[in-house]
Amino acid sequence: MPYILQQLLTESAGRHGGRTAVWARGRTLSYRELDERSNQLAHFLRQRGIRKGDRVGLFFPKAVESVIAMFGALKAGAVYVPLDPNQPAERITYIINNCGIKGLITSADRLRLLEHSSTPSVEFTLLTHELSNGSVRPNTFAWSALANFPAENSPELQATTTDLAYILYTSGSTGRPKGVMLSHQNALTFVEWCAEMFEIGASDRVSNHAPLHFDLSVFDVYNSIKAAATLYMVPDELAVFPASLANWIEEKQITVWYSVPSALVHLVLHGNVNGDRFRNLRLILFAGEVFPQKYLKQLVELLPVVEFYNLYGPTETNVCTYYRVDRSLLRAMDRLPIGRACANTEVFAVDEHDRIAGIGEVGELYVRGPAVTPGYWGDPEKTARMCVSNRFQPNFEEKLYRTGDLVSPDENGDYYFLGRRDSQIKSRGYRIELGEIEAALLSHAGVCEAAAVAIPDEEIGNRIKAFVAPHDPGSLTAVELQRHCATRVPRYMIPELIELCEGLPKTSTGKIDRVRLAQTKSQAAD
Amino acid sequence: MSTGLDLKAEIRRFVVENAQMKGVTEVPDDMSLTDSGIVDSLGIFRLVSFLEENVGVHIGDDEIILDNFQTIADIERFVSSKLNGKGEKAASM
Repeated sequence: MPYILQQLLTESAGRHGGRTAVWARGRTLSYRELDERSNQLAHFLRQRGIRKGDRVGLFFPKAVESVIAMFGALKAGAVYVPLDPNQPAERITYIINNCGIKGLITSADRLRLLEHSSTPSVEFTLLTHELSNGSVRPNTFAWSALANFPAENSPELQATTTDLAYILYTSGSTGRPKGVMLSHQNALTFVEWCAEMFEIGASDRVSNHAPLHFDLSVFDVYNSIKAAATLYMVPDELAVFPASLANWIEEKQITVWYSVPSALVHLVLHGNVNGDRFRNLRLILFAGEVFPQKYLKQLVELLPVVEFYNLYGPTETNVCTYYRVDRSLLRAMDRLPIGRACANTEVFAVDEHDRIAGIGEVGELYVRGPAVTPGYWGDPEKTARMCVSNRFQPNFEEKLYRTGDLVSPDENGDYYFLGRRDSQIKSRGYRIELGEIEAALLSHAGVCEAAAVAIPDEEIGNRIKAFVAPHDPGSLTAVELQRHCATRVPRYMIPELIELCEGLPKTSTGKIDRVRLAQTKSQAAD
Repeated sequence: MSTGLDLKAEIRRFVVENAQMKGVTEVPDDMSLTDSGIVDSLGIFRLVSFLEENVGVHIGDDEIILDNFQTIADIERFVSSKLNGKGEKAASM
């Protein structure tokens, strides 16, 4: 039984060395090649001084090198940190410094983005291609440098299943992203459950739609590699063109698809989806946000032989509950449950009186088991707030993760998602703290007050609107503020609408009256 | 019908407005609208509606592909060819 993630690759390469492991933009790697290249990368990282637990950043658009980099870092004993290649330099710099990235694997154009950033922890940079002429940072290496290192074996490593494997940064309510630490055990708990549940096999062709900094990609990469299947990385631009994406799914004969519902909604609306075209597709998994029932019903009708599962779970637990869509029940359903706990995981809802919620009652969802994160990088305070002692079991010390999601169990033991306890929202499946957007707006010198609100949207979950009161009325424009936000937060967090006002409404206690803003927003959205 | 110059100006005006919402200020004719994030999965359909309403062409789902929408120059070429070649069909929609 594998206890560290890289064993999944070593085992598949041993049995199926000649099979195709990864496809990305027309380039492929066999299992043998992936194993050997990642061995070489691991030796390279060790030679550059990477030791167990050191962080290695991955900052480049999806390519076959992404998978080499993930496994190479793990084989060196490092913790990899996938960085969104489309984020502003300021946020990337914050993350690099926050977790002290020592080695950065990147491309020339992304490196240029960091030209003016101060990243003292970074000791060396590895480019995913050859060195170009012109100025190059000291300690920068070309990908071809890896050829000088041994390919047959990975470096010596004494590792345990509780070692960290990767850190995924998500939006933080205080204005800065937070690093969720995930161990090999966290990932494998999910991967092992999926392998059994979905019976991924060597003949499967598994899509990878989610970006690598998004936890949905953990299923794609590790379940595909575990099964010696082929991973097909979806070219980024296809996410914008549903007809092209549908052609791609058909042409690549994808058998297993996993994405946020909004990507599937676009396929339903504009992809000309039908069972004849997607003859090989057998399984669709979706997660990250609520799937609008109307479109789910259409999709299920269009693809009569495909199995559908709703997966649920915050990054801190990856997936912790699942619900298998039953075609006959779906017709009469007005909402889809998030379902019940995956194997090796327990979930329950805790009500406002700190009791476990019964059937039909509402409570906050708590998760226990080996899938739960050890916490947030460098933030013991936040970790203590979210990962709490299990007060429902007095025999030994263990942690529970509080999801912040309000849920209710039904008589079958399936949970329903009702909403959030705080101001976290989802848009296109991305987890967004409205507080991070507000902090970005407030960092503009001309802004006196700012509030961000979510406008529910059928296709993407939520759109974002902000209300801003400038110090000097008339001194700011919405475009100027959007441009400012673009330097601090990812694109999907930039408010689509910004309304400038003289002051924001207040509650009797002097706080910004979000309820009133939320009421005015729907009128403004129409 | 729009002249070539007007058409391009119209497309540019719409794209630049969208670009500004994403914090991008300059959009050269050959800049990739998808790589830069100016046109995303929602933006593409806003752009299509805009073209249908303001330029008077009908755009089928199978025409909403990268080749036709990657850059301002691509969009102009695509819309022009529709106006020239399939003008009657577009007008009847």
